[in-house]
Amino acid sequence: MSFPDPIAVFRTEAAELLEQIETGLLDLNHDLADKEQVDAVFRGLHTLKGSGAMFGFEALAAFTHHCETAFDQVRKGIVPATHDLVTAVLGATDHMRALVETPNGDYEAASEVLLAGLRAAVAAAADPSQAPATTAPAKATGYRIRFSLPVNAMANGTNPLGLLDELAELGTCRIRADKSDIPSLDMLVATDLHVRWDLELVTDKPRSDIEDVFIFVMDEMQLEIEALDGTAAAPAAAPAVAVAVAAPTPSAAPVAAAPAPVPARAPAQATPPAEPRQNEAKQAKSAENVRVPAERLDELMDRVGELVIAQSRLSQLANSSADLQLRAVSEDVERLSGELRDTMMVLRMVPVAHLFSRFRRLVHDLAIETGKKIELITEGESTEVDKSVVERLADPLVHLVRNSCDHGLETPEERIAAGKPAAGRIYLTARQQAGEVIITIRDDGRGINRERVRAKAEASGLIAPSASLSDQDLLQLIFQPGFSTAQQVTNLSGRGVGMDVVKRTIDALRGTINVASQNGEGSNISLAIPLTLAIIDGLLVRVGNGRYVIPLSAVEECLELSLDDDMRSRGRSFISLRDSLVPFIRLRDLFRTGSKPDPFQKVVVISTGSERVGLVVDQIIGDHQTVIKSMSKLHHDVDTFSGATILGDGGVALILDVGHLVTEGQQQEAQLRAAG
Amino acid sequence: MLSDTAASFTITLPDTLTMRNISSVRDDLLQAIQEQDNVIVQLPADAQADLSFLQLMESARIYAGTAGKRLGLERPVEGRLLDLLKRAGFAEDMSAGDAGFWLHQGEIQ
Repeated sequence: MSFPDPIAVFRTEAAELLEQIETGLLDLNHDLADKEQVDAVFRGLHTLKGSGAMFGFEALAAFTHHCETAFDQVRKGIVPATHDLVTAVLGATDHMRALVETPNGDYEAASEVLLAGLRAAVAAAADPSQAPATTAPAKATGYRIRFSLPVNAMANGTNPLGLLDELAELGTCRIRADKSDIPSLDMLVATDLHVRWDLELVTDKPRSDIEDVFIFVMDEMQLEIEALDGTAAAPAAAPAVAVAVAAPTPSAAPVAAAPAPVPARAPAQATPPAEPRQNEAKQAKSAENVRVPAERLDELMDRVGELVIAQSRLSQLANSSADLQLRAVSEDVERLSGELRDTMMVLRMVPVAHLFSRFRRLVHDLAIETGKKIELITEGESTEVDKSVVERLADPLVHLVRNSCDHGLETPEERIAAGKPAAGRIYLTARQQAGEVIITIRDDGRGINRERVRAKAEASGLIAPSASLSDQDLLQLIFQPGFSTAQQVTNLSGRGVGMDVVKRTIDALRGTINVASQNGEGSNISLAIPLTLAIIDGLLVRVGNGRYVIPLSAVEECLELSLDDDMRSRGRSFISLRDSLVPFIRLRDLFRTGSKPDPFQKVVVISTGSERVGLVVDQIIGDHQTVIKSMSKLHHDVDTFSGATILGDGGVALILDVGHLVTEGQQQEAQLRAAG
Repeated sequence: MLSDTAASFTITLPDTLTMRNISSVRDDLLQAIQEQDNVIVQLPADAQADLSFLQLMESARIYAGTAGKRLGLERPVEGRLLDLLKRAGFAEDMSAGDAGFWLHQGEIQ
């Protein structure tokens, strides 16, 4: 049996923790009085420090300690949260990432600079009048603390020694380890935790300070804290007496200097009985989640893809056989492989929230860099998309958000002069529509200057002077390589590099880009991306002797094209569909099959959004689960097809690129209309 | 590293005895105890250890005791390791067996 590398596990968890810390900081930046976020950031920093030390990331632990201390002061109300402090800690999180990735790097100078910034931010935030009033020294109280952590606590990065050290710092502490649960060496998983603790602590600190020690593991542990009085702490105290006086008593006398050994497992009335059950439920819930490396999911997806192809071959064999048992088995396999495919697809789906969260930080930094006030509003974070799509969407979205911040939004002065609020808004939204996810980046800035786009395109030779272009075609020019209307090249954008990357990436994802813009009111860029890149439901059709797959999500309806209709439509290539003319493309002409058309051809009407086009095929074979295989580099420039798939008989069918065909159909329609 | 002397078998543990490598240390120690009747554990003086190491040694003591083998430390713990023992609560209310094993007070197990 192999165990995961604990260092790799720590790195993954540290990345998640840093993301949580960053999210908390960004939320806090919006509402500096948000105590919940202050606590969340503190807990995150505390856990990161503890885990870092546990796994030998000493530099990380030492550096994080300073940030944790700063937030501890905020948490205790000694220092108020300020925007400068938040920004300083945000900068520190980047440094922490570097310390996680390359713990032995030479970061001393960088650490010092960041810590100096942090100290300055804390000093600026400190307001002596806010400091807690000096109070008389509190009376020392004795507590008995018993706690146990989950078996996987150490493996998950919790350092029990850190907890014990913190308790010891609160006062005079006597720590006893209960080793009775430690298994024999041959049964031991060395990274599991089998030790419990029983402590007696005499402290002048309030009980809440003891609870705070466990703040980041509270949900998953068993903890009992009892205030002791002299009777309970006396050497001869019987267990029953200890229980009888266990209720918290603020006025309890200090515990004796040398407390007697306490019974190992005395029941504690002070602990509400519901608490352990609640903890157990939480533990059970956390145990329901399993972390799986992404590449294993990819491997599984490949296997499922191969299974679907094999099942398709089996179905074909069974259908051509008279053996009823074979057919029954084939149907079972078909059903099961379909269910397996659906389950697999769900496993690969991840919410876009993870993708969106990184833009909050980006916008925060861009706002500082540009001197603009920018609000990022995200919607539809729970929309789920195939993980490979999410990964590939990150770069295009960075370019688009940067572009909106830098070029789209005006400066606060310009906005106020235009009668707008000083803070510009960028909306990042996601939603599912049919088989696609639509991601929209909208801003309320100045909008795209069409005159400047045209002038620039003409000057660069992208379009002929005075060329007639639709509004959409004109706006799409911004995605041409090297195109930029920015008058200034900034660190952020304006080099014309980026927007063409957006176009290339979205094309590669078989997606489309739609641009809308209104002068003075802002721009709206919508990306429509297929939900998955791995397996689709397709409609298998025949054109001449070749077989092709049309993604089923794009198919609206199928019609018969009789010979008469076919003859009548020659030269026009339009069909009348419920009082609207829909252009169609004869695939046999497009593919130059050279064979005679079938007597009863079919028109498959496909659409992307509001645009429709008909595809004339010879035969509709039926639906087909399509495992998408990429085209070779030799076929990279073939726009009509987005991929290929293997059929049940071992033959190959090409998958039609719906977006491209719809565009082609619409262009054909425009040309015919122009020709009168 | 393993070395064999006439009466006992000495296993020298690495100078890092933490969660990073505790699983492999456990495997080495288990193998040594399974194959030898009398195992002496040699700890580097400046060993960096954490709780997982203390737990491992306690577990090894249980295994050795059950299997009728002898397990001991070459030297009593001191310095950082003794400090670790105290911080983790292993030094409090030590039994005679514990004190013998960790501090060489009385008989070694």
